[in-house]
Amino acid sequence: MSSESLNSLARRVLLVVALGVLAIPFVVPTIWMVAASVKPLPEIFASPPSLWTDHPTLSAYSEAFTFQPFARQYFNSVYIALLVTLITLVVSSLAGYAFARIRFPGANALFVVVLIGLLVPSEVTIVPLFQMFKRAGMINTHWPLILVTALAAPCVLATFIMRQFFIALPAELEEAGRLEGLGRPGIWWRICVPLAKPALSAVAILTFLTSWNLYLEPTVYLTSPELFTLPQALTRFTDAYGGEMWNTQLAAATMTVLPVLIVFIVAQRQFVEGLAHSGLK
Amino acid sequence: MSATTKNRVVSRASANVRGTARPPFWTTRRRDVLTGYLFIAPQLAGVLLFVLVPVGLAIWYSLNDWNVFTGKQTFVGAEHYTALASDPQLPSVLLATAIFSGGVVILNITLGLLIAVLLNRRFRGATLFRTLFFSPVVVSVVAWTLVWGFLLQDNGGINGMLATIGIEGPNWLQHGDTAMLSVIITQVVRSVGVNMVLFLSALQGVPSQLYEAARMDGAGSRTIFTRITLPLISPTLLLTAIITIVGALQSFAQIAVLTGGGPELSTTVLVYYVFQQAFEFNDIGYGSTLALMLLSFVMLLTLLQWQLRRKWVFHEQ
Amino acid sequence: MINARKALGALALTAIVGLSAACSGTAAETSGPAELRMTVWTSNEAQLKLLNSIGDAYRADHPDVSKITFESLPFADYNTTLTTQIAGGNAPDLAWMGDLSKDLIASDALVGLTDKLKATDGWQYDDLLGSVTAEYSRNGTLYAYPFSNSPFALYVNTDLLAKAGQKIDPATLTWDQVAAAGAAVHEKTGKAGFVIRDFDYKSWNVLATVWTGFGAAAWSQDGKTCTFASPEMQKAFSFLHDAAFTSKAMPSPGTTADFFAGDAAFTIAQVSRASLLTGSFKFGLHPLPTGPAGKYAVLGQAGVGVLTSSKHQSQALDFLAYLTNPSNAEKLAQFFPPPRKSLLTGAKLAANNKTLSAEQLQSVVVDQLPNAVTLPNHTSPAEIAQKGKTALDAMWKADADIPAVLRSVCAAIEPILAK
Repeated sequence: MSSESLNSLARRVLLVVALGVLAIPFVVPTIWMVAASVKPLPEIFASPPSLWTDHPTLSAYSEAFTFQPFARQYFNSVYIALLVTLITLVVSSLAGYAFARIRFPGANALFVVVLIGLLVPSEVTIVPLFQMFKRAGMINTHWPLILVTALAAPCVLATFIMRQFFIALPAELEEAGRLEGLGRPGIWWRICVPLAKPALSAVAILTFLTSWNLYLEPTVYLTSPELFTLPQALTRFTDAYGGEMWNTQLAAATMTVLPVLIVFIVAQRQFVEGLAHSGLK
Repeated sequence: MSATTKNRVVSRASANVRGTARPPFWTTRRRDVLTGYLFIAPQLAGVLLFVLVPVGLAIWYSLNDWNVFTGKQTFVGAEHYTALASDPQLPSVLLATAIFSGGVVILNITLGLLIAVLLNRRFRGATLFRTLFFSPVVVSVVAWTLVWGFLLQDNGGINGMLATIGIEGPNWLQHGDTAMLSVIITQVVRSVGVNMVLFLSALQGVPSQLYEAARMDGAGSRTIFTRITLPLISPTLLLTAIITIVGALQSFAQIAVLTGGGPELSTTVLVYYVFQQAFEFNDIGYGSTLALMLLSFVMLLTLLQWQLRRKWVFHEQ
Repeated sequence: MINARKALGALALTAIVGLSAACSGTAAETSGPAELRMTVWTSNEAQLKLLNSIGDAYRADHPDVSKITFESLPFADYNTTLTTQIAGGNAPDLAWMGDLSKDLIASDALVGLTDKLKATDGWQYDDLLGSVTAEYSRNGTLYAYPFSNSPFALYVNTDLLAKAGQKIDPATLTWDQVAAAGAAVHEKTGKAGFVIRDFDYKSWNVLATVWTGFGAAAWSQDGKTCTFASPEMQKAFSFLHDAAFTSKAMPSPGTTADFFAGDAAFTIAQVSRASLLTGSFKFGLHPLPTGPAGKYAVLGQAGVGVLTSSKHQSQALDFLAYLTNPSNAEKLAQFFPPPRKSLLTGAKLAANNKTLSAEQLQSVVVDQLPNAVTLPNHTSPAEIAQKGKTALDAMWKADADIPAVLRSVCAAIEPILAK
């Protein structure tokens, strides 16, 4: 009996060690980024590599703001991601609810049409979309980033998640709502949406991250630095001759990553559990 | 406002009760149908406008030649499609696409499942590890890739770390094989957290009675895994496989930032090639043709997986 | 088909406009005084300040121009961004341009400048140096004013050389001596020998700073025939390959070494990069080393032109003539080596230069410009750069078959040259 518990203790230690080693590539890059961003330039490539510096400096941080309109770019990314998330929440919970709970002619066919939106890579549509937005005079504005993300592929994924969630709701809830005199919009808003918090939070997280990470679209649609978003701005820390500004880039990257990471760590349970209950299983 | 709505509902209801000769046009059923259409309208419009119409336009563009500076376009028919056959770079691009997508899917699913199974043992610290493994998901793709770009330099951090334990690391980004390995690993480590969480929740959904019953029958842990666990989580496996492969086929930022498609064409995946043709070489016609080829791959793969799902997946509602 | 496309387009358009009208507050184009926009790739405050002050001075006398904006676009993908602006119907009125110029001239996207400049009082068209206007001319018409003509030069970290016990004589310096001294520095200090700045095993066109000294060129004068496989080019690449893999005089691929941070003994870079010197080490600045083909000079150019798509072409043209007139050209000369003979003396250039002396500027700029060749420049620059790079990647392995790789470069770029 005691040898068995010793055995299980050894197994447990082994498990933790194995996971610890496996976690290195997941954790070290972020720590390295933060550490390198406060190093003087020549130390970034010092050998052997070290996470420590004797001469920490924040000059790269201030440089990030003077070299590009970084504060503005930060704001752009935040407001676009929030707006996109908000629109997606409304659009996807409406559509997901309808596809799950309302019977109307052509529902299945239309659902397939919508799902196609999930399969078309954005690289296929970007050239024609560019021409469409050009005719609408919306090149070099944030509109393409907002509209396409909030209504096309990322939103389709959201609609799918919401549909999966609403399908599982017991029908009695709706009956109760109807007895209280609620119409469909009322049932959707008063009864189903409040119950859908886990799915909604999964949608919110996924959509926010998609918008936050967009790279191809801003690269194509935006040409003025004050309209840039963060991912695009991060790759533009090169001096007037194309030379890379390593530490400034790392400082900007750190500022991009840390706030989201902190929000995640604080709310990690909601993050992970929201995703786990997304119905994507 | 809501009071008037309620009044209207009430009056209409009472009209129904009175049972006049002609039934009202707006029956509950009809109102339901209308609401259904209205509810899906924004989503449907988005897909039509920003997905289907552009795909139609892309087909038209693929039949034309464009000068982006002057806006002149000339109809060239199937010329770009025949050019596919004679493009000397295309075979390498397709090979790179296959290796990258295949590598990402296999590694992502295996690693995701492995971590999920380990974390599912519920030990002290499991939540901490779950947080660590998930954290790269919330890190901006470009920032993440930039940092890996630093670490993968010949004189960068990874080789420095390897040197301290006596291994001379390769010049990661300068050789085709290691460059491909680098982009795959960078991509998988960043995104495997999502699949890990989905697998974890699928594993927790497996009824524990099944395990107990199997153990009573004397099944070993490997048998339990392959005969009970895997079949029961197979719907999740397939769905994540689809999402992962479609995502891998669309990985642009990682390639653009880490390798720029090099060395030679070793990491030039189709998506990156489309971007180069359309927006760097300004060959919109050929770029659109390549993009449509990408679309047909995605469609084919999805169909294939759907067929598999029918045959392979056990419990489907 | 066309109708179907139009119908689809119209449908899409109506929907988008409908969606956006509610929120977008963009003002419609108004008639009245012109607003000019010029794209540049510098984000240097001093340079932008100078440009803005010239713009302000111009507006003071020209009520028909209400605003002049200098939009600074990131250097790294300036061409793609500018092309996207043009393709997106959002083209600037004036633009700086590097190797995009040939494409722009070939597609008639630039306004001819010669007549306007000749007709402008006091502009002195004949003051322009013939050797620097050729790149931006077609059939005797100038399409962009070459405001910057910065020769490549050899920067030397004399502290590092001394540390490794190396001595060089700038007057008779050859590439072989640079490689030998570089290899010795690398051997003794672990720092890099020589670095071709910005090459980084990607931007191969800057290697013209080396191969020109071996008598090689990327393609023929008319730009139609690839000359990458020539014996001269083979010698040049044997030299570079040797430096990267045998003598280790040049850092190998994937190794980062910044001369201006003190990590290398030599670098080849444009004279304008002298602003990156921080004074943390003693430096020397000399003309390029002599190659097997003798003395030579290479320069990198930038021009500024007016786009035909501009709604205010005549105002833009007039502003360009003002921006580049003799007195403003002299102001710009503090940052960019000018194309005007009258300004090209060591003393005049040194007047506004804090880092370099009159003698240095005389020897590395003024004496070099008349015979300098430009970096390879052709239509479809991005495609040539990428295809060439893809083929050249095979060169940067220890056991590369140099002649075969060079032939493959030609095979890759010849179809584009022939277009």
